[in-house]
Amino acid sequence: MERRNFLKFVGSSLLVNFISSNISKASEPKILALAEGRDYEKITRDVINALGSMSRFVKPNDVVVIKPNIGWDRTPEQAANTHPLIVKAIAEECIRAGARKVKIFDRTCNDPRRCYETSGFNSLFKNLKKVELKHIEFERFKKVNLNGKFLKEWELYDEALSADVFINVPIAKHHGLTTLTLALKNIMGIMGGNRGYIHRNIETALSDIHSVVKTHLTIIDATRILLNHGPQGGDIRDVKILNKVIATKDIVLADAYATTLFGKKPEDIAITVEAYRRGLGEMRLSNVRVIKV
Amino acid sequence: MKKFSLSLFFQIIFFIIFLFLFVNTEYRGKDEISLAINSFFRANPLVLFSYLFSTFSFTWLLFPAVLLTISTFFLGRFFCGWICPLGTAIDFFTRFFKKVDKKIIPSNFKYYLLGFLLFVSFFGINIIVLLDPIAIFVRFLTFSFFPLFGDSVKTVWVGLYKIFGEKRDMLSFFYNFMKSNILPFRETIYPLAFFSFFIFFLVIFLERFEKRNWCKNLCPMGTLLGLISRFSIFKRFPKGLCRDCGDCKNICPTSFDKDVLQKEECIMCMDCELKCKFKRVNFIFNVKPELNTNFSKRRVLITSLLTGYFTAGIFNFFRDEHKSKLLRPPGVRDEREFLKKCVRCGECIKICLKNALYPCTLDYGFYNLFTPVLIPRKGYCEYNCTLCGQVCPTKAIPQLSLEHKKKEVIGIAVFDKNHCLPYAKKVNCMVCEEHCPIPKKAIRFEIVSEKDSEGKMVELKKPYVVDELCIGCGICEYVCPLTSKAGIEVFKTKELMRSELYGSYGNTKISRSKIKNYC
Repeated sequence: MERRNFLKFVGSSLLVNFISSNISKASEPKILALAEGRDYEKITRDVINALGSMSRFVKPNDVVVIKPNIGWDRTPEQAANTHPLIVKAIAEECIRAGARKVKIFDRTCNDPRRCYETSGFNSLFKNLKKVELKHIEFERFKKVNLNGKFLKEWELYDEALSADVFINVPIAKHHGLTTLTLALKNIMGIMGGNRGYIHRNIETALSDIHSVVKTHLTIIDATRILLNHGPQGGDIRDVKILNKVIATKDIVLADAYATTLFGKKPEDIAITVEAYRRGLGEMRLSNVRVIKV
Repeated sequence: MKKFSLSLFFQIIFFIIFLFLFVNTEYRGKDEISLAINSFFRANPLVLFSYLFSTFSFTWLLFPAVLLTISTFFLGRFFCGWICPLGTAIDFFTRFFKKVDKKIIPSNFKYYLLGFLLFVSFFGINIIVLLDPIAIFVRFLTFSFFPLFGDSVKTVWVGLYKIFGEKRDMLSFFYNFMKSNILPFRETIYPLAFFSFFIFFLVIFLERFEKRNWCKNLCPMGTLLGLISRFSIFKRFPKGLCRDCGDCKNICPTSFDKDVLQKEECIMCMDCELKCKFKRVNFIFNVKPELNTNFSKRRVLITSLLTGYFTAGIFNFFRDEHKSKLLRPPGVRDEREFLKKCVRCGECIKICLKNALYPCTLDYGFYNLFTPVLIPRKGYCEYNCTLCGQVCPTKAIPQLSLEHKKKEVIGIAVFDKNHCLPYAKKVNCMVCEEHCPIPKKAIRFEIVSEKDSEGKMVELKKPYVVDELCIGCGICEYVCPLTSKAGIEVFKTKELMRSELYGSYGNTKISRSKIKNYC
């Protein structure tokens, strides 16, 4: 093939590819599923099915990582950790879709043993087949080249990186520094090293990480939300019961929508705004189709 | 066939129990830990006596030790030959030494040592427990052996990861089993690890010169039990060596230096009965008193009283900057009271969930050696944990209910505005506020607009401590992301400092807000 022809060929195929991918993006409207109810396992299954069942995300023989927030030595009622029943429902859906293995872990802030115990995770995941609730092992953090605006490289957890499907399952709650902590911030649970360091430019740092680590599905636990004294809480009076769960493919959208549950606008949360600006997802709620189940 | 003696059988049983209790002095998913975990210390007559001598009071916690003391009146020093795990270890190691027949410790020295230590306790400095045999063994295990063991296994485990990567998970069942049942959760390196090992090593090394040398010539617990056993009614017959045999002299690990059995040193192993060719040796109950004294009681008494009195005063010195960082486990309010009761056993340090507790080094003075100090930069006091108070054998660390413990003041956090990022560098941080476990937050912040280093207006969240709420758990200092010195540090409160001089504030009615003033 001549050089000219070759260039034509490559150029045109790139163009076609670019257009078609943009068309497919445009043709698929942003969808967010929302369910409400007291049966947390059921509403979780409902939001997943509203997105078109778990098999859209998990293919047979996949290794799935579910990353809930189990960061604190707090009970489920205190609304500092993701509710274990929600995680259980997700894990079961993954297995039903044919997942080879489901791994659940978080790098905790309090003592990991206490966090896993008090949060109710230990007792719930003891005898579930193909599901592993694991403690973080520090040798597994791998230096990853992020080439971001704030973080050039950082240690990330190898199991989260090597998983076929990564499902982010935060709890929606108040946070002193960032106003709210949602899915985008929940990624800190796979970060190694001195995590506190990124607090000085947290929105940029988180976008840097999300540009590299892809989240396939985001499910936000808003069954109980913490309105004040987060992210740890501890006082039941700061907890509001909403009995809601949100699911979407778009992590920024998940955060943007969850923000409204606190009576705030997506623009109020710097982390969401930065992620949107960097093209990591949608935050304009007018462009979104919300499926209420 | 080698005859298997009953005492050896019990030694092995108790050694296994001892190791089992030691390994289980660890958080395993339950908030409460069995009271039995520290039984070796609560059944310890030396702990009992040091407690009585230094606090002039009794606690029912040490009732097992009372029982053991009373049974010594009947059965002699059976503790040393049947139960003591250090004794068992000595019996095990003694075979590896080529014996050099030399008496390096004068035989009356132990009485002076015990007397001296008891009188030092009497004058308020409880250091006798530094030489408690159980404590020596537990400290060796806690500070050197166990971390080393954990670290070795961990190194292999990490090494496997480096070679096989994720395929290592095939073995994870085995490792997780070890981890959740035997291994320490963290492989902490403790200060005094070598020193603890060295003391243990010396005790074992003494075997080079004599069998059960430590037990016979130094051990304060053995000496104490020996003194009591003089009254014991369980006796060996015949008292001396038989003229035609004399094998007992070689069989006996402790008491046949002379031709007559030294009752104070007989550890009731009863090997002589077992191995007697003529079946002559018997252990029988006989109430007839026979007290032979082979040392000058008066001289020992006077010497130890004097040395005790004069030495007690000189252990107290240490530098003031260490004093303000000498944070004690939650519930310790009266420093003097604490030091009198603390056994220096290291149980609290072993169990501490986040490895916040470390043994005091000589930096904190000789008197504080091996007592627990909370070092927040290395680990913090977990808000919902009450384990240290539960395992403390003498309740030098009080056993607090969770509700009570959450309010107990360990110290108070103070910002160092020359280091803290929002103050010193004008950048946001707030990691401390995020981690503060107090539901209402003892660290709060105010939002201000200031010029940063480039002259740009920025919105800054500046943290401050609410003194009335801070309990000094130290998580803020622990998580402070500054790499060297933390921007927030926990210090002793004024009242806790004062307790060293004037006793507990717990007995006086000082309002909580006054207690919290940092000085």
